[in-house]
Amino acid sequence: MNKKLMAVTLPVLMSMTLAACGGGNTATNNAGTNSGNNAEPASAAAGNTAKTEAPAEKITIHYWYAFGGKIEEAKQALVKKFNESQDRIEVIAETQGGYDDLHAKVQAAFAAGNEPAISDLEIASTGVFARSGMLQDLTELAARDNDTLKLEDFNPGLMGNAYVDEKLYGLPFMRSTPILYKNVTMLKDAGLDPAGPKTWDELEQYSKTLKEKGKVGMTMPADIWFYEGLVAQSGGTMLSEDGKTAAFNSPEGVAPVEFWKKMASEGLIKIPVGDEAGATADKDWANQLSAFKFGSTAGVSGSLEIAKGNNFEMDASFMPANVSYGVPTGGCQLVITSKLSDEEKEAAWEFLKFMTTAESTIYQHKYVGYLPTRLSALESPELQEHFKQYPQYKVAVDQLEYARPRPMETAYPEVASIVKTAIEKAIIDPKVTPQDALNEAAEKANKLLGK
Amino acid sequence: MTVWEKLRPYGMVAPSIVIFSMFFIYPIFYMIYLSFYDWNFISPTKTFVGLQNFKDLLLDEDFRKVLSNTTVYTLLTVTLTTVLSLLLALWLNRKGFFHAFVQGAIFSPHIISLVSISLLWSWLMDPEYGLLNWVIGLFGFDKLQWLSHPGTALVSLVIVAVWKGLGYNTLVFIAGLQSIPSDIFEAAALDQSKPWTTFRRIILPMLSPTIFFLVIINMIGSFQVFETIAIMTQGGPVNSTNTLVYYIYENGFRFFKIGYASAAGVILLAIVGALTIIYFRLLSSRVHYR
Repeated sequence: MNKKLMAVTLPVLMSMTLAACGGGNTATNNAGTNSGNNAEPASAAAGNTAKTEAPAEKITIHYWYAFGGKIEEAKQALVKKFNESQDRIEVIAETQGGYDDLHAKVQAAFAAGNEPAISDLEIASTGVFARSGMLQDLTELAARDNDTLKLEDFNPGLMGNAYVDEKLYGLPFMRSTPILYKNVTMLKDAGLDPAGPKTWDELEQYSKTLKEKGKVGMTMPADIWFYEGLVAQSGGTMLSEDGKTAAFNSPEGVAPVEFWKKMASEGLIKIPVGDEAGATADKDWANQLSAFKFGSTAGVSGSLEIAKGNNFEMDASFMPANVSYGVPTGGCQLVITSKLSDEEKEAAWEFLKFMTTAESTIYQHKYVGYLPTRLSALESPELQEHFKQYPQYKVAVDQLEYARPRPMETAYPEVASIVKTAIEKAIIDPKVTPQDALNEAAEKANKLLGK
Repeated sequence: MTVWEKLRPYGMVAPSIVIFSMFFIYPIFYMIYLSFYDWNFISPTKTFVGLQNFKDLLLDEDFRKVLSNTTVYTLLTVTLTTVLSLLLALWLNRKGFFHAFVQGAIFSPHIISLVSISLLWSWLMDPEYGLLNWVIGLFGFDKLQWLSHPGTALVSLVIVAVWKGLGYNTLVFIAGLQSIPSDIFEAAALDQSKPWTTFRRIILPMLSPTIFFLVIINMIGSFQVFETIAIMTQGGPVNSTNTLVYYIYENGFRFFKIGYASAAGVILLAIVGALTIIYFRLLSSRVHYR
């Protein structure tokens, strides 16, 4: 009898434990964020009071950001500068991984009531976050403080993703476009014109010559951001005007996949997959296995250092054109979450304004390579001089002329994932044509977008 | 009996019951509750949609792909790990420096973080410049695409899982082998039993509780596979390595579809629950306890 009881209860118990571990991601993630959240501010705040003997009303707010390396260094430096510039607000900056991780954590923290006051937000996700009610509408604050803020000073090419349903939800912070990075030394060694390819055809010709020399033209993940660029270069769009239907299965959307498939099948480009795909592309380029890479302008400073360290000359230019040049913008803006007290909201707004001043944007541009977000920054003698010295930094700025905002539909993250799968399928499977793969993806996407 | 004596056992199990309820029982019921709603985790309104999430799931061909991926991954991982580690245990179950060294060497992956392991194997499996393809090249074979091709990606992940799990499984098997009383082996030797007969008639039955334990533990682990996928493939290429837990994560935290993700979680609960019950039913009659 006992044994029988055991045989029933044990599996039930075990399966529950399993499901808790498997399905209950929510719970674990929340718990993780909670504990992290509670522990750090406590110690940091304690350290503060001891150090500066700040007035009792000093406000502590949390700022969550994405990415490490130079990007993190720049963000930390700006935060430090802000904290030292005044004694009413203490900002605690906390890293949260890449954009996907950051978004997931902000979302989970919001549900648990532990969200940061201010956060980086990848521009294409502004729609989802704003429509879910997670973001503070900044329209009034911006109007109130426009004397100092000067909204019209922000580069208009970067404001497309700042508004959702005509309300302002974020201000451009570390914004980018993808650009083409070139290993000039390798091109010269192969007897190629170091100016690099201006069109898709030229990219193919360059890659053929490089292949004969035992290299690949480019290592490039089938990244949705690059794809958006190539669709724009072909004269198409990802979604219809109203955002209710997919437009990427048009000839303009199919052309990039046809191009990639042809290049990959001839061994002219290498397409890595997985979380590390982007890193692999960078690595191949750094190790001079590939001559080109697509990458965010955020990589300019890092790439210059790599080129110097590995003894080659590097340059950057526009992404090659098909019928025209074209790129998506990218990067992040700063947003304020919606459930703050008035006091915290003002503190976060103060910090946000500081982070987006002309001075701050010049600093981050020179340190990392992201776009200068303000027109006054672009015109400043400091940057004009900088551009003369390092023309690589100017490429993305000039390319903004051909830039367009990213789609911000609520379903877009999922649509992007579906498109990416379709692209991979079309490239890898010889039996699947790009048109068929994208048609199938469009059918799925339409269901999501139509909701 | 005093009141204290009656209450004492309850008091003593209370902490673990409280924690168990908070972190296991409550989330399960909350997940089941959420699976009937359309919700993005944040907006104040949850829309009750009944069984719609489940209907969508079952009609979604990606979800069917995810289920078959998870099943194939689990079957391959569990079978390979169990068989290989049993063979290794039979070989390593003796004294001597060399055997101790090998045992330590194959155990070491067990204590390395899965994230490091994933990064390491991503490099090893790089199609162009990875060590594995270089070795294959030495023997004159064509390069494999490993993680970059839908045909090989899942198997590549299985290899990583087996490599990681082998040491621990072998250790448990060795412990199991050493707990078999030596008088049985002596009796078998007196009867001039052939090695194969000894293995089949003595070792396997005596080891059956260990085998059973490991199969269950490995199944649990395989069904929960997440880290290697999140780091090495993100479910790709072409969904060929998208498994249940990763699918749940993706839908919940990247696409903001908590209700849909919870429904997938409920299905995971049902499948694993059913499998475990079947296992206990089937094997309890065959498992040999002393």
